[in-house]
Amino acid sequence: MSAYANAKALGRDAVLDKIAALDLYESGVYREKMTDHIAKAKAAAEEEGVQLDVVAALNNADTDMVYLQLLREVPEKVLEGCAIAALAAGAQKAVLTVPEKEGELAASLREKAEELGVEVVCEFINIRKNQTNLLVHLASCADLADAFADSYEPGICVSINGEPLKKVPADAKVSDVVDLTGAKAVQVGYAYYTPEECSATVGELNPANGVIRVLTDKNCIVDDAAKKTLACKAQSCGKCVFCREGLIQLEFMQNEVTQGRGKMEFLDLTSEIGEAMCYSTPCSMGQQSAKISLSAMSKFAGEYEAHIKKKNCPAGVCQAFVMIYIDPTACTGCGDCMDVCPKDCIEGKPKFIHMIDEFECDRCGKCVEACEEECIHITTGKVPKLPDRLTKVGKFKKRR
Amino acid sequence: MAVITIDGVKLNVPDGANVLDCALENGIYIPHLCHHKDLNPLGSCRMCIVEVEGQEGVVTSCTLKAKDGLVIRTQSDEIKRLRMLALELLLAGHPEDCSTCPKYGNCELQMLIQYIGPKTGRLKMRVKGFKENTANPLLVHDMNRCVLCGRCVRACNELRGVKVLDYHKRGMETYVGTLHDKLLADANCRFCQACAEVCPTGTIRDKLATTEKKREDYIVPCKAECPAHAEIPRYLRAAKEGDMEKAIAIIREKLPIPRILGYICTQACATQCKRNCLSDPMSIRLIKRYAADKDIEHKWRARSKQLPDTGKKVCVVGAGPAGLSAAYYLRKQGHDVTIKEALPTAGGTTAYGIPAYRLPRDVIAEEVKIIEEQGVKIECNTKVTKPAELLNEYDAVLMAVGGTVGVRLGMPGNDLPGVLLNADFLRNCSMGKETGMGKHVIVLGGGNVAFDCARSAVRLGAESVHLACLEAREKMTADDEEIEQAQEEGVVVHPGQTFERITGEDHVTGVDFMKVKAFYFDENRRAVIEKEEGSELHIEGDTVIFATGQKPDLNEESGFKLFRGAWIVVNDNTNDKQTSIPGIFAAGDCVYGTKSVVMAVQSGREAASQIDKYLGGDGDISEVLVDDKPGDPYIGVIEGFANEKACQPKIDPAEERKDNFRLFDHGICDEDICKEAGRCLQCDLRLQIHRPHTWGDYADSKEA
Repeated sequence: MSAYANAKALGRDAVLDKIAALDLYESGVYREKMTDHIAKAKAAAEEEGVQLDVVAALNNADTDMVYLQLLREVPEKVLEGCAIAALAAGAQKAVLTVPEKEGELAASLREKAEELGVEVVCEFINIRKNQTNLLVHLASCADLADAFADSYEPGICVSINGEPLKKVPADAKVSDVVDLTGAKAVQVGYAYYTPEECSATVGELNPANGVIRVLTDKNCIVDDAAKKTLACKAQSCGKCVFCREGLIQLEFMQNEVTQGRGKMEFLDLTSEIGEAMCYSTPCSMGQQSAKISLSAMSKFAGEYEAHIKKKNCPAGVCQAFVMIYIDPTACTGCGDCMDVCPKDCIEGKPKFIHMIDEFECDRCGKCVEACEEECIHITTGKVPKLPDRLTKVGKFKKRR
Repeated sequence: MAVITIDGVKLNVPDGANVLDCALENGIYIPHLCHHKDLNPLGSCRMCIVEVEGQEGVVTSCTLKAKDGLVIRTQSDEIKRLRMLALELLLAGHPEDCSTCPKYGNCELQMLIQYIGPKTGRLKMRVKGFKENTANPLLVHDMNRCVLCGRCVRACNELRGVKVLDYHKRGMETYVGTLHDKLLADANCRFCQACAEVCPTGTIRDKLATTEKKREDYIVPCKAECPAHAEIPRYLRAAKEGDMEKAIAIIREKLPIPRILGYICTQACATQCKRNCLSDPMSIRLIKRYAADKDIEHKWRARSKQLPDTGKKVCVVGAGPAGLSAAYYLRKQGHDVTIKEALPTAGGTTAYGIPAYRLPRDVIAEEVKIIEEQGVKIECNTKVTKPAELLNEYDAVLMAVGGTVGVRLGMPGNDLPGVLLNADFLRNCSMGKETGMGKHVIVLGGGNVAFDCARSAVRLGAESVHLACLEAREKMTADDEEIEQAQEEGVVVHPGQTFERITGEDHVTGVDFMKVKAFYFDENRRAVIEKEEGSELHIEGDTVIFATGQKPDLNEESGFKLFRGAWIVVNDNTNDKQTSIPGIFAAGDCVYGTKSVVMAVQSGREAASQIDKYLGGDGDISEVLVDDKPGDPYIGVIEGFANEKACQPKIDPAEERKDNFRLFDHGICDEDICKEAGRCLQCDLRLQIHRPHTWGDYADSKEA
């Protein structure tokens, strides 16, 4: 018998009892006991005097979307869980919502969904239209299905460093589930943490989007935060001022820092806007997305300062701080670098020291690989004096 | 009920009421932008945040529901800081060129800036880079100015149910628009313009907005343009619902002879109808006619006003539209009213000017009967020659004698035998008398009266009928419909001609014309006509009819101060229609010249009100003839609404109509009438939408 059939056979009260007995939790941003979660939604619907629907979805703020793996790998589980949630809440309608861009995925689910009486739609959750509905995370749906197939395993479903999803115990320390060797920072959910903070449990830090990811010396926190914030900006529906405009400002500031145009006042402005976003927006999109910048800036202020004051990206990721130059004392004037440069920004002629136009150069590094003399260098540090006009090989030092 | 406390002020408000609305209505200003009283709260702009006692942080007052014992504060340093931040964020994507914005001075965002204070300039500004969209009729969209308050989206979806506007995203920018950026008409927009009404900024604007007219007048132009300000959208709505009883009652609140108007009104209203910008204007006249034709039971009479007799006597001279209207309302105000009419029946211009093929005589008779039934006495065949003497018998007199004498233009041959005047010709024609018309008729003039002459001549058996006028075709004052139908009947129209001379020795033989090269008024407002050389045109004919204006049959002997020797001078054409003889008033064409029947009706109404006041009444002639609830704001989706064409009336072909004076326009049929009325944009619904509360309103009241 399927999980849904089992649940149906048990009846609503017994289903709720079992959910309570197994101590199921709502997954994602709004982590709480599933029984409380259901009760709250029912109370809201009752207050308004309306019928409650069950809407299963990812959190709006989720740009990593690792939980979509569940829909791809065990779709029937999620759909059944959704139907079980509807049964538990006494809802008339159950809807499974997938992100707007996942039309194909939605289409692949419809047949099975129909059997279970679940509607599948592609949209961004409008939190205002769902105030009296029971919103259930996709991962919770999978848990519910497991619970009634007697295969439930307690814990939080996570993807560690991009690996497939697996359950980890909520009371395990983060440092115990992930290898912190060489870690500079750890992304847990929507925030960055220092390795020291990882002595907290998985449940406490709550990887709400299923992501636990180690960042090492090779990762630039600023660059990482800028990219994530950009993804959030693209995903925000733009209806609320603080989310829409706040993300635009946060992303701008993060990006400016990576571009070497950062200012120290960005730190204060980021916390002012970011903190306000957390309580001035109605859904996870605004509430969680701000935490990326907030946690990065507050916990890794040194890295920001290096970018802003020292004009240096310690990880060597931010290309604005990276310089590629041709060592004038070693260049043989062979022209190999010129041939491979996609931007055509290397000047030179045979037997003359070649020069890179640093404004045109986009630091792709192709010339570095092409140089047999190994005289083209990438650095984030100081660049030696370079010729300012075409100079014959070997003449550079003499001319000075 | 719940008692809530806002900034220390205790308010008694309904339980569960919107706290922001409660504050605003009780004189407490809380800044707000995305909130609008008629729309569901959104809580996105965060301007209306307040602190609730016993609760941490701030909440939006627009989403807060009143509960007994609720205590809130609208001001604190934290609130101020967050409002400022919200404003700064909003303005980061808004252009900084207030002074060039068409909404300058009426912009809610601008007033919010004045209230909250100037922004600091610490945020990154950006230009959204949308192009102003002027491709739609009636509305302009400048999405660069949009602050995404979402009012228009809610108005379009929740208030109107039209569901055209929604949020969309282009690249990283959210904007409001139609699906796939379709033109509004193609997206089934109903052009109710609620979006423009609720837009707080200069983003969605009326193309027709102007500072020269009152707001209501450009929003509901048909009603504004009607001289009597008939409630056109209201009666069209009743007609749409098939409730013709209600429609005629609404019409009759302003128009005492609606059936006559239903046949012949020049409907200035339709020329201003906003539907002109979409497809065809509303067939307002024909809908009025339909409702009036169906009005057999006269249920509206049950609520018709009749004040007790005052004992005052009023004499109205002339039973035309102005006289009949004035008499009707004067009688309803309780006065004893007698109309003295020179001709054998009442109706004036409508009976002796407008031909029967346009206005059947029984229609006039029935309208007159309603007025007589109200208690107005009409004495026909009674020409008044000494109006001043009427004051011996009456407490007040109204001159409504119209313009009954045709104007003969000064030109060679203008008094030859065979030259006729419009007024005489049409009167004789209406009375079945000999008109003196020959076989080949040339009508001089380009107005509706000229066409009445020309088409009557066709019906009287003229072998050829030419009509010439000074104006170019597009400047002719006659209705297009009239011109086209005349042409179908064989009238040859010659626009843009000067009248050189009427030829002939002892009888008319024709008219010489020259083509007009340019016709304009110089700086002294004198008409200047430039002729085209070598453009001489001679049209042969044995009859010339001057249809170049009419004037009242009055001279100095009448005792009135006259304008240009014929028109009666009144103190003020709108507000004081008293003539140079105290106690005698004047209204209609005899005051302001030949205009329209509906204008005469309005002139008569105004005169009635003024005479009532003169006689000691309150001058209030208004009446409510039917209970009417406000129109349903939820107009819903109608596919292809904007492009719907007008339903055409049934018109007899030219061959069947040109040899008789029978009515040839049978109006809109039963099947089409509701559909036609349903095409109305219902511009008036927009006036139901509440005007915004701005800081200025509150600041003023405090100072005062």
